Amino acid sequence: MKNRKAVFSFSDIHVEVEGKEVVKGVSLAIAPGEIHAIMGPNGSGKSSLSNALMGHPGYEITGGEAYLDGNNLLEMEADERSRAGLFLAFQYPLAIPGVTVANFLRAALKSQRGPEADMSDFRKLLKKKMAGLSIDESFATRYLNDGFSGGEKKRIEILQMSVLNPKVALLDETDSGLDIDALKTVAAGINQFHDETKGILLVTHYQRLLNYVKPHHVHVMIDGRLVKSGGPELALKLEESGYDWVGAEAGLKAGA
Amino acid sequence: MSEAKHDIIIPDIIPELERGPLWLRQKRRFSREAYNDAPIPPRGLHLWRYTDPAAFVVDRTTSSDTAYHDNYDVIEKVELHNLSEGHLSGLVSDFGGREIRFHGFDRLRDQGIVVTTLSEAVERYPGLVERYLYELVNAGVGKFEAMNGALWNDGIFIHVPDGEVIEKPIHLLREAGSSDSAQFPRALVVVGQNAQLTLIDEYGGGAAGNGSGGSYSNGAVEMFGLPDSRTRYVMLQRQSSVTTSYLTHRARIDRGANMLTIALSFGGAVTKQNFGVTLNGPGAESNMYGLLFGSGNQHFDNHTIHHHASGQTRSDIDFKVVLRDRAVSAYTGLIRIDRMAKSCEAYQENRNLLLNLGTRAETIPELEILNEDVMCSHGATIGPIDPMMVFYLQARGIRHQEAVRMIVSGFVSDTLRQVPRDLQERITGFVTQRLEHI
Ligand SMILES: Nc1ncnc2c1ncn2[C@@H]1O[C@H](COP(=O)(O)OP(=O)(O)O)[C@@H](O)[C@H]1O
Ligand SMILES: [Mg+2]
Repeated sequence: MKNRKAVFSFSDIHVEVEGKEVVKGVSLAIAPGEIHAIMGPNGSGKSSLSNALMGHPGYEITGGEAYLDGNNLLEMEADERSRAGLFLAFQYPLAIPGVTVANFLRAALKSQRGPEADMSDFRKLLKKKMAGLSIDESFATRYLNDGFSGGEKKRIEILQMSVLNPKVALLDETDSGLDIDALKTVAAGINQFHDETKGILLVTHYQRLLNYVKPHHVHVMIDGRLVKSGGPELALKLEESGYDWVGAEAGLKAGA
Repeated sequence: MSEAKHDIIIPDIIPELERGPLWLRQKRRFSREAYNDAPIPPRGLHLWRYTDPAAFVVDRTTSSDTAYHDNYDVIEKVELHNLSEGHLSGLVSDFGGREIRFHGFDRLRDQGIVVTTLSEAVERYPGLVERYLYELVNAGVGKFEAMNGALWNDGIFIHVPDGEVIEKPIHLLREAGSSDSAQFPRALVVVGQNAQLTLIDEYGGGAAGNGSGGSYSNGAVEMFGLPDSRTRYVMLQRQSSVTTSYLTHRARIDRGANMLTIALSFGGAVTKQNFGVTLNGPGAESNMYGLLFGSGNQHFDNHTIHHHASGQTRSDIDFKVVLRDRAVSAYTGLIRIDRMAKSCEAYQENRNLLLNLGTRAETIPELEILNEDVMCSHGATIGPIDPMMVFYLQARGIRHQEAVRMIVSGFVSDTLRQVPRDLQERITGFVTQRLEHI
């Protein structure tokens, strides 16, 4: 069902990977200005859900609906979803040898703005956004993610988000691989991006990032299903007590 | 048709065999006999598994060497412009040796640098030419090298004396003829001790392919890098799509000398190319980059050799292939390290990107490493564009076609960076053009 108030909503999403169902009917609605978090143990299907919503060819959506700002997402190719305003910061961003960060972002921004768009502000914009995320200028001319450390890749994902300025951002384990200073910088970048029009979905195993980016709603995913929802206090409880109790409550095994 | 070609021999009385002093006439005659005596290499024999050798047999008596294509003027104008802008040291237009024009060599002449025809060099620098001509590309290499050795008309001679440095490239434009023509371009290049040269060797032209016959070209290039010299050689193949092309390039570099070879292949119908560098003294280093982009029904067959004849030498090859439509490519890369050549380093990589089904690539690494004291590695990949890369770009809003273009451009970008400035724009243009309508 289309949720008119939500900037992003999906219902009863099922996802198959290599013939195996790994997301088993998940629904969520994110109103403009809201930050949601999906937490769950490894292997519970968080990345599969995020990738499938972005249109990853390896993750097949076998059931459900998804709407972004009124547009039926599942009828669109990945590039159309992006241009409609969806962004996914990948858990494991790929290297693209020979394509520099600057050229990549210029092409991406140009495709968002349209072929006739004036791009004369691009250099300045990129420079400003890089400085804001404490990314050295030299990264602009390096090949995208080629030889980058885990933490550098995560920062570059957030850089992409802040340059492209989507309506809805899914951030998959963006905190992993970051030391405490980098975590603070990245969190500041996310908070700066966030305003009353945006929807954000943080997907994370740990609640570390949630100390710096405060979610309004926290959901727990176990074995392909959202089994519990609550406020920010739920994240703290998960941090203290792990996932087993939620699983037990829901009559499921929490897994790893 | 290929059956009849078995009978084609080089006749005894043709003008080419009468050119030059006695030693040269003898070499030409020897080459002729070797050609006539050698059978057409059987299919399946080393280096002929992927290409029919009959394609390279032509009848000298029925092929003209005089007719040229009009659009030649365009490229010459581009390069004359590059010359006037100061991007080049000099430009040579070579019409199969029948006519060779030289542009802009006055300054180099004052430096003592020799750029002239082989026929003039034979007269004026007999010692140098007799010592080096046929030293590396001769009848011993193969039947088609013998063919060039007998039939080359006139060629280009470049000598950079010891210690002389040519900053900007010398650009050779070698023009294939129009329909039913056969050309046998040849060049000899000697780079003196501590001297420095960048040479662009561009093969263009050829029949228009409007139903009349095709053109044929069989080239030979010999290069010598004397101790501590630095040489950059850029080969560009952009002949017409009905040109059959054979090229053998051999270089030998001495102690402390450095050679960079860049082979850029876009043109031709059937193209077989051999690039070889012998590392002949300690400290010698050879780097090769190959970039081949085939489309339509193009057929490419490339062979590279790095021969470490001396210890403490280093070689590296990065040969990249992109194919679309029904194009095919075979790459054979030989690393030979002699028994006495200790402490060598040799690396080789061949990556093939297939843009659609219907293309085909072969990769054959050959290692003849006769001692243990070496560092050596080789790698090869053949496959389509990684769909995960395409997805990543699409996830940022970039359309599928443009994503493919960006990934292919990225794939070739390291090689393009090596290309001298006066060529960069044109080479990028070839790549872009071949990425249209993907
Ligand atoms: N590309 C893939 N190929 C095969 N199995 C996969 C792939 N991606 C995810 N899976 C499987 O799907 C399940 C969910 O994984 P994932 O979505 O990555 O979980 P999470 O992100 O919560 O750790 C796991 O069983 C995992 O092994
Ligand atoms: Mg995950």
